[in-house]
Amino acid sequence: MKKTVKTMVLFGLALLQLEGFADYDSTYNPASHAAFVIDQANVDLGLGQGVFKGWVQVEDGRITAVGAGDAKIPDGFKQIDASGQWLTPGIIDVHSHLGDYPSPSYRAHSDGNEATSPVTAEVWAEHSVWPQDPQFPLALAGGVTTLQVLPGSANLFGGRSVVLKNVWSRTVQGMKFPGAPYGLKMACGENPKRVYGSKSRSPSTRMGNFAGYRKAWIDAQEYQKKWQAYDKALEDYEAWKSASDGTDYKARPSPPKRDLKMETLVGVLEGEILVHNHCYRADEMAQIIDLSKEFGYQVTAFHHAVEAYKIGDLLAANNTCSAMWADWWQFKLESFDGVKENVAMVEAAGACAIVHSDSATGIQRLNQEAAKAMAAGGRLGLAVDPSIALTWITKNAAQALGVLAQTGTIEVGKMADLVLWSDEPMSVYARAETVFIDGVTHFDRRAGIAPMTDFEIGQREEIF
Amino acid sequence: MMKRILLIGLGFIGSLAAADEYWLTNAKLATGPDGIGVIRDIHVKNGRIEALGQGLKVGLPAKVIDLKAALVTPGFIDSATTIGLAEVSGLGVSQDGEVADDDMAAGFRVGLALNDASVLIPVASNDGITRGVVVPEPGDSNFAGISALVRFQRGEGFIVSDALAQHLYLREWDRRHAGGSRASALASVVHALEESARFDQQRRDFNSRKYRAFEMSAADLQALSEVRTGRMKLVAHVDRAADIRHLIAALEDFPEIRLVLAGATEAWKVSKLLAAKDIPVLLNIMNNLPENFDRLGARLDHATLLDADGVQFAFMSGSPYSEFRSLSQAAGVAVAYGLSWTTAIAAITRSPAQIWGLEDLGVIEPGAIADLVIWDGDPLEVTSAPTAVMIDGAWVDLSTRHKALAERYRDLLDLK
Repeated sequence: MKKTVKTMVLFGLALLQLEGFADYDSTYNPASHAAFVIDQANVDLGLGQGVFKGWVQVEDGRITAVGAGDAKIPDGFKQIDASGQWLTPGIIDVHSHLGDYPSPSYRAHSDGNEATSPVTAEVWAEHSVWPQDPQFPLALAGGVTTLQVLPGSANLFGGRSVVLKNVWSRTVQGMKFPGAPYGLKMACGENPKRVYGSKSRSPSTRMGNFAGYRKAWIDAQEYQKKWQAYDKALEDYEAWKSASDGTDYKARPSPPKRDLKMETLVGVLEGEILVHNHCYRADEMAQIIDLSKEFGYQVTAFHHAVEAYKIGDLLAANNTCSAMWADWWQFKLESFDGVKENVAMVEAAGACAIVHSDSATGIQRLNQEAAKAMAAGGRLGLAVDPSIALTWITKNAAQALGVLAQTGTIEVGKMADLVLWSDEPMSVYARAETVFIDGVTHFDRRAGIAPMTDFEIGQREEIF
Repeated sequence: MMKRILLIGLGFIGSLAAADEYWLTNAKLATGPDGIGVIRDIHVKNGRIEALGQGLKVGLPAKVIDLKAALVTPGFIDSATTIGLAEVSGLGVSQDGEVADDDMAAGFRVGLALNDASVLIPVASNDGITRGVVVPEPGDSNFAGISALVRFQRGEGFIVSDALAQHLYLREWDRRHAGGSRASALASVVHALEESARFDQQRRDFNSRKYRAFEMSAADLQALSEVRTGRMKLVAHVDRAADIRHLIAALEDFPEIRLVLAGATEAWKVSKLLAAKDIPVLLNIMNNLPENFDRLGARLDHATLLDADGVQFAFMSGSPYSEFRSLSQAAGVAVAYGLSWTTAIAAITRSPAQIWGLEDLGVIEPGAIADLVIWDGDPLEVTSAPTAVMIDGAWVDLSTRHKALAERYRDLLDLK
């Protein structure tokens, strides 16, 4: 598919355009900063390997060295004494609507659900993001450095998600995570059938939901074939042209008309766009896995997977992550079987477990939510090390967003997305004291550094 | 107007005190007459704390539990919940917590709608919460009705009182109940209270059907009369600092009203006024979004600011389906943002007991109601949980549908 935006998620490479429309690209360019070493910290690398007393060295936005014990501070490096503090990778939320459902939350600001058709794979969440949403700095104060903003769940195919760095910018392009793949938001269950059933149109049932998914994927396969045929014809034409002696004539093939909806779906079929599927019930997740096999794509993660604990084996076998809340349940029937032990049970089954927020307040406390889930697992006899619980909001989240090569753990060569905590990160008393994004201090409670959005200027106090 | 609701004065339904007797020895007290962290024996009898001391003489061995210095708190009190009103909030089968199509619901008692078999009840006790205030929501009226006090034990005795306090809503989106302006909402509040005074004066004629010229039902007028005369507290759900000031000024003609603020996002901006008028505040600590123009002053250190100016406050969680469900987490967050641990504990024990007029609750001292929680760690840590919970001197069944589900699938999938 030459015409789709091809992304390279290889380390360090920016979005690579193979053809034409370079608009909407990330323009995020981290500010320069003095090289520094964070010393004397209790370091958790985000690899699930425990905590050690040590140091992390940062230059030009990247982690350039990590070690245990006392640091040797190279000449010209600033020393940050983190005695008594905990250092972790930046927190990552795989499920957010910041900017799409901002504060203040008036109808004029409600930009998360294009609830006018069950298949709106053509819409992009980034086109709704309001960068001046004051919820971004609140999430930053909770240690969140990267987040995925998704369309809502009214539709079977809600549209494209976008992965953002949690930096203040005048534009959403200035927040886009360089090189992050797009996601496709899909939704199971009650929401699509409620939204369209109430309009007396399909889907109004769960079986209607599935018919809708399958029809769209069949359309996408057709569209993909059309472009493959065009690519082949173009190739033949180019071969003929270079071999031609000018005595005959062959018309250059015309490309099919672009269809934004189909482009996104074909992006999934070709493995370039990751599927993030809102799905509560275990039986529905199992059917979605069958759907993905029917059409040959991978479900990267189930979101709001409140019943993932019932099928941890199936999720592990299919290499699908589950993004979960610690203790949300019973707000609708499909969440009736939610249990606090969910995340720990998915972890124990050997599947990829993630704690997500879907909330502008929950995103401020993802560490506490992970802690709750960890403790609930322990009480069920599934002891979880705090370091493992940290991977639910760092490493595993980065994996599900396709950015693990760049962030999500503290490893040499990765982006210096780091949080210094006042206490053990799994403690309710822990506050993010300093938050670095690409080595730049975007939040520092003690120094009084925090972004203030345009909306807040002149009418809100600092958030410390 | 509450035409459909009869004047049912159930009043206080009372408690179901257990006849059992227990000795909890070597309890580390989170609060008590001798300070924090001391080790004491607790003698529980007839639903109350009979005695508190060191080396108390104990009874039958079967009734003696050595707590081995585990921390004991009073049962937590959640100053706003909707547990018992809907098993699944999003089903839309009933709106038991509110009255729609009626511009006056003062006589509405939410207690009559409660489900004492809800599976959410033990979820609360598993968080160390023994009592809660089930709060009516505004349907189409500013006066939403009367809250109930519940204890988180399933079955008979769930409802302790169906006549706790009157709830008045004056937040940004509540203005629609009174013609669209918050000024008219405030005027209608004052008018309703004045009408209740006229009702009291003309009650005999009213009852003998000689005089009926009231816009409100007798149930509404009676409920408002109780508020106006201070027999029942008035809980005003209001956010903006200016609105708080205006409400306090408007109620000055009714000096007996005992006002409590709830939500009160910008209470910190008028903290000196609240302290001077002795007006307590119910806070939803974790709800710090500037989600409308009334809530621009939202902040996580709200309790700390109120505490500094001597305002009394208690914490509430709101809905059991929301992200603010955890009361102890809210108290922990308040500590992270500057409140002392002791004051945070008090904000979910002693302070709400005082605010709601439940003087025998929220404390560990001789004579107090034996609502006690034994913890496996610091109760404000999100990783901690109760190991045992006592309400009115009886142990609470902490088994839940949620735990049973988790155990089923742990075993089915052989998870270790």
